[in-house]
Amino acid sequence: MSLCQRRRSAKKLVEPKLMLTSMMDMFTIILIFLLVSFSDSPEKINLGKDLELPKSTTDAAYQRAVKIILTKNELKIDGEILAPVRNQQIVGLTPENLESSSLYKQLKEYRSSTQPKEERKNKAPHVLFLCDKSHSFKTINNVIKTCGLAGYPNFQFGVLEEKSRYP
Amino acid sequence: MARFSKNRRSGEEEPELNMIPVMNLFMVLIPFLLSSVSFLHIKAINTSIPVHADGPSISVQEKVSRKITVVLEIKADQVRISTLSDTPNDLQVSEKEWVLPRSNKMGFKVAQVADHLRKLKQSYPDSDTMILIPDDEVTYWEIVQAMDCARADNSISLFPNVVLSGSLG
Repeated sequence: MSLCQRRRSAKKLVEPKLMLTSMMDMFTIILIFLLVSFSDSPEKINLGKDLELPKSTTDAAYQRAVKIILTKNELKIDGEILAPVRNQQIVGLTPENLESSSLYKQLKEYRSSTQPKEERKNKAPHVLFLCDKSHSFKTINNVIKTCGLAGYPNFQFGVLEEKSRYP
Repeated sequence: MARFSKNRRSGEEEPELNMIPVMNLFMVLIPFLLSSVSFLHIKAINTSIPVHADGPSISVQEKVSRKITVVLEIKADQVRISTLSDTPNDLQVSEKEWVLPRSNKMGFKVAQVADHLRKLKQSYPDSDTMILIPDDEVTYWEIVQAMDCARADNSISLFPNVVLSGSLG
């Protein structure tokens, strides 16, 4: 092909236009979905790698409360590590020393600071308990008893949402 | 209409909306929302532990209605369902027990427990409380399963007030 012919064919090329309408539609749908799922829970909870929550068919939402997290390796209260867990046993939390444990002291402190607010709002104090599904009742019973002693007899067990077993 | 057809005839191009600023905005918003959104939905099961209370525990009105309290014990080798009642007429019901085999490896059959709880609920529709007593070795996952089948069966509310208690023995 000669140089002249090549120039003529280049002139014929039209600049292609991007079709943005369909992309806009897609982005709008994604944006709405993300905005809806962004605002459905009172606060975000970061689940670590060593915390596997059990699945449940409950549809009750959790409320803002003092968070106790019992992972495979540690016991935390509102993100602060309280005690390590070894061989399915929380170190420093035995049935004999519940009232001298760090968990009891922390809960008591928290209770004294939030009690006037709860009484004003007429709200029952409760604990949001997030526990790894592999823990035995023996392990979690010490935590539950300590909470009860510190003035938190009501619990919300944090679980992962599962669709009903009866479709 | 006449103008539109005139425009078409004269070959004038329709003005196009500039979408690029909107797209830029979307490109900023979507990564931000994607990084902060959680795809695991955490829900809650409400429960409580027994507390010491002073004074009469049951009001006279409550005694009139036929209410029972279901006791679900998860033991190493079996699941036992029994009932407690405060009304003298229902004392015979507290003597009845229902036992289902269980193993630490396999757990228990949730459907069978739910079926029995549904029957109890049909007999005592005013009842709404269950005491759950797991053995020390029962896992948290199994406790949640037991709570699930106590709360509702096929969208029928059974015993939604679950009280978690340790065994006394």
